Amino acid sequence: MSDLLQSAKTAIDLAKKSGAQDAWAAVSRDRSVSLTYRDGKVEKVEESTSRGLGISLYVDGRYSSHSTTDLRPDRLAGFIKEAVALTRVLQPDPFRVIPDPALFKDRPTANLERVDPSVAKLTREQREAWAAEMDAKAHSDKRVISAESNLFSGESQGAAASSNGFDGTWDGSYVGYSCTATVREGEDKRPEGSGHAVGRFLAGLPEPAAVAALALQRAIDRLGSAKGPTVRTTMVVDPEAAVSLISRALGPMSAASIQQGRSYLAGKQGQKVFGDKLTVTDDPLVPRGLSSRHFDGEGISAKRMPLVEAGVVRNYYVDTYYGRKLGMAPTTGSASNRVVGLGDKSLAALIGDVQDGIYVTSWLGGNSDATTGDFSLGLRGHQIKGGKIGAPIGEMNVTGNLAALFAKLALVGNDPYPYSSLRAPTLVFEDVQFSGT
Amino acid sequence: MQQTLSRRSFAALSTLGLGLPGLLGGCRGTTKAGSTTMIPGEQAPLADHLGWFSVDKPTIARVMTELTARGADAADLYFQYSRDNSITMEDGIISRASSSVDQGVGLRVVVGDQTGYAFTEDLSLEAMLAAARTAAGIAHSGAAHAPVEFKQRSRPSYYTLSQPWAEVQTVQKLPRIEQLAALARKGDPSIHKVTVSWADGEELVLIADMHGNVHTDIRPMTRLWCMLTAKKGDVTQSNSANLAGRHGFEWYTDERLEFLAKEAVARTMVLFDAKRPPAGEMPVVLAAGASGILLHEAIGHGMEADFNRKNTSIYASMIGKKVAPDFVTIVDDATQPGERGALNVDDEGNAVEKTVLVDHGVMASYLHDSISAKHYKVKATGSGRRESFRHSPMPRMRSTYMENGPHTREEIIASVKKGIIAETFTNGQVQIGAGDFTFYIKNGWLIEDGKITAPIKDINIIGNGPEALRNVTMVANDCKLDFGGWTCGKDGQSVPVSQGLPTTLVSKMTVGGENV
Repeated sequence: MSDLLQSAKTAIDLAKKSGAQDAWAAVSRDRSVSLTYRDGKVEKVEESTSRGLGISLYVDGRYSSHSTTDLRPDRLAGFIKEAVALTRVLQPDPFRVIPDPALFKDRPTANLERVDPSVAKLTREQREAWAAEMDAKAHSDKRVISAESNLFSGESQGAAASSNGFDGTWDGSYVGYSCTATVREGEDKRPEGSGHAVGRFLAGLPEPAAVAALALQRAIDRLGSAKGPTVRTTMVVDPEAAVSLISRALGPMSAASIQQGRSYLAGKQGQKVFGDKLTVTDDPLVPRGLSSRHFDGEGISAKRMPLVEAGVVRNYYVDTYYGRKLGMAPTTGSASNRVVGLGDKSLAALIGDVQDGIYVTSWLGGNSDATTGDFSLGLRGHQIKGGKIGAPIGEMNVTGNLAALFAKLALVGNDPYPYSSLRAPTLVFEDVQFSGT
Repeated sequence: MQQTLSRRSFAALSTLGLGLPGLLGGCRGTTKAGSTTMIPGEQAPLADHLGWFSVDKPTIARVMTELTARGADAADLYFQYSRDNSITMEDGIISRASSSVDQGVGLRVVVGDQTGYAFTEDLSLEAMLAAARTAAGIAHSGAAHAPVEFKQRSRPSYYTLSQPWAEVQTVQKLPRIEQLAALARKGDPSIHKVTVSWADGEELVLIADMHGNVHTDIRPMTRLWCMLTAKKGDVTQSNSANLAGRHGFEWYTDERLEFLAKEAVARTMVLFDAKRPPAGEMPVVLAAGASGILLHEAIGHGMEADFNRKNTSIYASMIGKKVAPDFVTIVDDATQPGERGALNVDDEGNAVEKTVLVDHGVMASYLHDSISAKHYKVKATGSGRRESFRHSPMPRMRSTYMENGPHTREEIIASVKKGIIAETFTNGQVQIGAGDFTFYIKNGWLIEDGKITAPIKDINIIGNGPEALRNVTMVANDCKLDFGGWTCGKDGQSVPVSQGLPTTLVSKMTVGGENV
């Protein structure tokens, strides 16, 4: 048994000794390294190992959850004892039970390729060399006034156990780099562009210099950015920007938000809410996926789950607690990888088809109301004129309702964004309200 | 900046807050003076602070020697112990609580503008020495600095509690939570769901630098949320309000609970009638209080000196220049008592102050940490902050607000032919170099022919920092700080902040909206 699993089981024993009927504990340990390089030299090096324990307690029909990083045995015993005592003064909650052990069965065993052993072996020298390459590339244009490159990586191990028979362990690695280049424009303006790549494996990531080149290009693309007109037109959303837009649209799919009346998707299961072109599947079993897992935070065995099929809402994220409140069977309480159904055209081809509109490259601020689906977002991007990417635009908003917007999803690209657990392609929406001059 | 309280979660464990009666009391046993109570607001003897972390002066000296073994311009150890509690009432019962304890030390070495950083949650000498060697890797030559003597530095006190949160029992809090829920439910027959969320906590910090200066602080924090869902026919609306600050249990008076419930009900019920304004450019009146988000995004971040030292801020060449009308004075102030942005000492041990960013329309000072102060050869402004011992400090805002101006709210509203007034907000963001900033309006009103008319909701505002400052055409005499809590995010670090504004007119910004 791993030392982490042993720690989790020890915590459960302590909870039971203190009077808890049931308990769930998770313990983890992470190592992380980050190197920041700016304008020709190392700016900051951070390196640490972290650990912590979290425990959920079921005491006389009452519930609480706790976490600590102080794992000295005497402190931990005192902490759990006090946590159990605290739980007793709360009110009994008939819906709160430890997850049903039947949900732990049929745990998948497929190799999810979560750990790249070469990540832990990266040397300081290698990181510095890559950062220097990024820095040199980002400074390869004389308009650049500053560039910052970051290399980050880490490894983690964890274990969870419950008083009703669950135990499981996990591990993972990640490695990535990012670069931001700032260029001068006129007297005061200093537009910037960023590039970013991350994965569980080093293999498959682009060359660091390619990420810096992308950052530089994006900064240069911003030069001459102006406010576009207030207009209703077609919106093409870049895959990187589409990640957060889809995430926003699907955010209220949790049983908690539905049960609390804070979801515009409440009561829509089986109904067509979005356009035909939208299909999204929660897939925890993608090899090397950033959010791949064999079980979720409640121990529920992982399986693929359709969320939206051709615009029809199929499943919600249902955990044990809110599932009981809603009278729905648990599916899984949280998102893993979300895989979006693809079209057959590239961004360039889609822009060619669109002819005229606005191409959104990134969002700036904004928000949405989960209860109604109303949203309003700041944006940066380009005009689309005659099927080509035109002048840069900024300081504009796009405003509408998420259900109405996605009902007008006309096309999706064949180009999923690879550096997120939500793999979104280019999205094309018709008749979208922009605010500008 | 986001209003949601986002803490870096360690180890992918869920970390809500919670409340453990007597936990701090239990730890007190590790101090020699067992009878000493660490009360926020009072400065306890150094021995008590060292006792909390089970370290002594020779240990700190030994770790500092290791940390500076390869040379250092500056080096510090940041010990932190924090305890957070939360309790939630939902669907009529107090159904859950959570607590978290976090403890560790961050070790930093600075050479010029280069930083080496490491932290450990294990406060054994062996673990601290290992972390010190890691952080020291940034330096290449020089002699070790071991302080021969440690001196506890005195500090002011901007947060005073009659009783530390650790001594407030959970059972004392429950009736207040139930009272707030009942008040909210009574607020309107359409109220369908009431969620009340209570959070409190304390943070003990001890900062030791290589010259032997030791700074200590105990920082309380509390917040009370009221979240509502209301139903009218088949239309559902939800909204929330919260009270937050570095206050104690006694702060939650009947009057404050009634105010919070009323505020949450009003913000929710008005949504049934609220529409989107027309899209495009128009005058925007910022109501007194939470509208300070404008300052935070349009100028505050751009005045953080690290961005200027790196030459990436749109304000990098504007010190001494006229950027706004004479009646505009903008400050960032650590000394506002009880505010989330209040600090007795910053996270590098520098003295705090009220920093004037814009003095009567002229750009006056950046916000400095030690590194940028050295770079610019000025005194640090006490703006070096960090999320926790896991992070190295950088220049951050505290309480940002605009001083009163010569106009009145009535004059300002009367001057607007067609525009909006913004009242409540959820979040904002800024592009430091381009200067474009946004903030999201949850509640507001249309202004037509000098009068407030119909309610509006859910629109983003976007503008450009220097342009918005130039376009501040009227400022009223009713400045107040927002009563709700704000959390500012920068480079992955979240810190509590406050913001405020008198009623202010910006003559033109781009308003999200719908032209139907």
